[in-house]
Amino acid sequence: MKKVKEFFSIPKGCLLELILMVILFGVNEVLAFTMPYYSVHKAYYDGGAYGVVLILVLLLCFLRLFLTKKKSAVDLGVILFAFFLLWEVSYKAGLVKNDLLIPSPEGLFHVFVEKHEELIKDVKGSINLLFFGYLLAVVLGTLLGLTAGWFGRIREITLPISNVITLIPPLMFSAYLIMILPTFRAAAIAVIFFAVFWPTFQGTVTGVGRIDRKVIEAARTMGVSNVGMLFKVIFPYCLPDIITSVSRSLRGAFMCLAGAEMLGMNLGIGYFVEKYKSLADYRCVLAGIVTVGIITTLADLLVGKLRAVLIRWKD
Amino acid sequence: MSDEKIKNETGVAGTTETEAAKAESKDRETEPIIRIRDLCFEYTDKKSRFGALDHIDLDVEKGEFVCILGASGCGKSTLLNVLAGLYKPGSGKVLVNGKKITGPGPDRAVVFQHYSLFPWLTCKGNVLFGLKSGKGKHKYSGKERKEKAMEYLKNVNLEQAADKYPDQLSGGMKQRVAVARALALESDILLMDEPFGAIDPRLRLELQELISALSVEKQKTVIFVTHDIDEAILLADRIVVMEPAKIRSVEEISFPHPRKRADLIRNGEYEKLRLKLTSAFYDQLQDSIGGEVVL
Repeated sequence: MKKVKEFFSIPKGCLLELILMVILFGVNEVLAFTMPYYSVHKAYYDGGAYGVVLILVLLLCFLRLFLTKKKSAVDLGVILFAFFLLWEVSYKAGLVKNDLLIPSPEGLFHVFVEKHEELIKDVKGSINLLFFGYLLAVVLGTLLGLTAGWFGRIREITLPISNVITLIPPLMFSAYLIMILPTFRAAAIAVIFFAVFWPTFQGTVTGVGRIDRKVIEAARTMGVSNVGMLFKVIFPYCLPDIITSVSRSLRGAFMCLAGAEMLGMNLGIGYFVEKYKSLADYRCVLAGIVTVGIITTLADLLVGKLRAVLIRWKD
Repeated sequence: MSDEKIKNETGVAGTTETEAAKAESKDRETEPIIRIRDLCFEYTDKKSRFGALDHIDLDVEKGEFVCILGASGCGKSTLLNVLAGLYKPGSGKVLVNGKKITGPGPDRAVVFQHYSLFPWLTCKGNVLFGLKSGKGKHKYSGKERKEKAMEYLKNVNLEQAADKYPDQLSGGMKQRVAVARALALESDILLMDEPFGAIDPRLRLELQELISALSVEKQKTVIFVTHDIDEAILLADRIVVMEPAKIRSVEEISFPHPRKRADLIRNGEYEKLRLKLTSAFYDQLQDSIGGEVVL
């Protein structure tokens, strides 16, 4: 009971801001449901999607406040709701005429209702590509990085090569990969692989290079063999470096994913954006971009959590 | 220095050389557990060579506690590293149980000055690593191993910190974990390289008395490198005083074990011994810097 009370406690000195946030939210919510929307195409939206998004944003702000106990969580909420209010009011007051280019809040969020099947299918497609390309690159990059880091001669061969290749933007390869690989899917996976493999490889090699010699010597005096050293000592020791480069390259992977899909896939969130761009439906383009934002943030959170679990010993 | 060192380290451990073993097997009965004969070791780089050990002879009996006493740079740590198998002897031979050593191995547990714990493992995990590497590899079941690990942590009074990570511990506690990990290898020989050098004086005494008691209890043969005369007297059955690259003198210490610093200080013999060692220690210092030192 005490724990629950503590969790829901609010830091001192932000009561006014909190009230302001809730009022802004309320006003937004009322506006969202008062008048139905008419776009240029005379499409009719009933105001539900935007209302739900507002509630989600409010919940997230409170969650952040309770978890971090920082007043800035409330400030963030105030700014967000003020922005939404401005956006909403400019429509209701008739300031924005062209809702083809700049959709109304409801217009934008309604895409998630109208096209949810298509979106889910495309998101699944993207995650599928990402999963194979990313996983393959992380596993191989780590294994080869450990080997190259530990055996000096292999390192001296591979590092110059990787130094050159890492500097080439992975998306550049796609122009050629599409030609030589049998399917678009394979090409997209290859591009993601390129985007993740080299940073992971280099991060791992660097991590192995930074290892404390004394720890290695201690392991050697305990009779750990040269190969055993790789998995029993060097891998766990370098895990923080590896995870850092893995989470950093996640962003790169998303960038390439979107790029690769725009090039010619018929599935995926990048394809979704590309398709509606050519249909001049910018409402859907924006919705696609928002979706990518949500997925990347979730993936980032997941990797962060994984990191915290795997390297508890670091702090 | 570190570059020079790397050159002399043994690479991949080779096969055991049975030749030497055969030659020595005749007098196995009288064989000491460690026999060093005519050992030389040089640090070399392109421009210069530096003789760190020059024709060293030393025998250590089973169960003996030998302290190697000397100023920094006299080669005492080099000697220990050769014994540990981390450095390859330049010439001469080093026999352990009558066999020539060919590299590091779990038959010689080492405790370093800088702890060298595995930071990703808890204290218990570190000790378990020792148990899995040493004689206990096939001897114990998983459950027994865990019990054994707790037992070794108990030996160094750290059972309450079993689930902590090394970075959460003080220096003294880390070194105790390192001792527990070395004990967990269950080797006959324990090599210690200035293990308490970085620990504050009050804790150091506590650890010295702990190691003194443990070495008797576990019947270990210990080679203990130090530059602290009092530490050497408290712990050793025999003190080997080193001057640069050579053994200067050897002193037998006959105070009964386990020893306590407080009891020793009251003993008249202690003061005499201390003076003798001090003069041996500092004469050697004066020799090496030309006798112009004012102490």
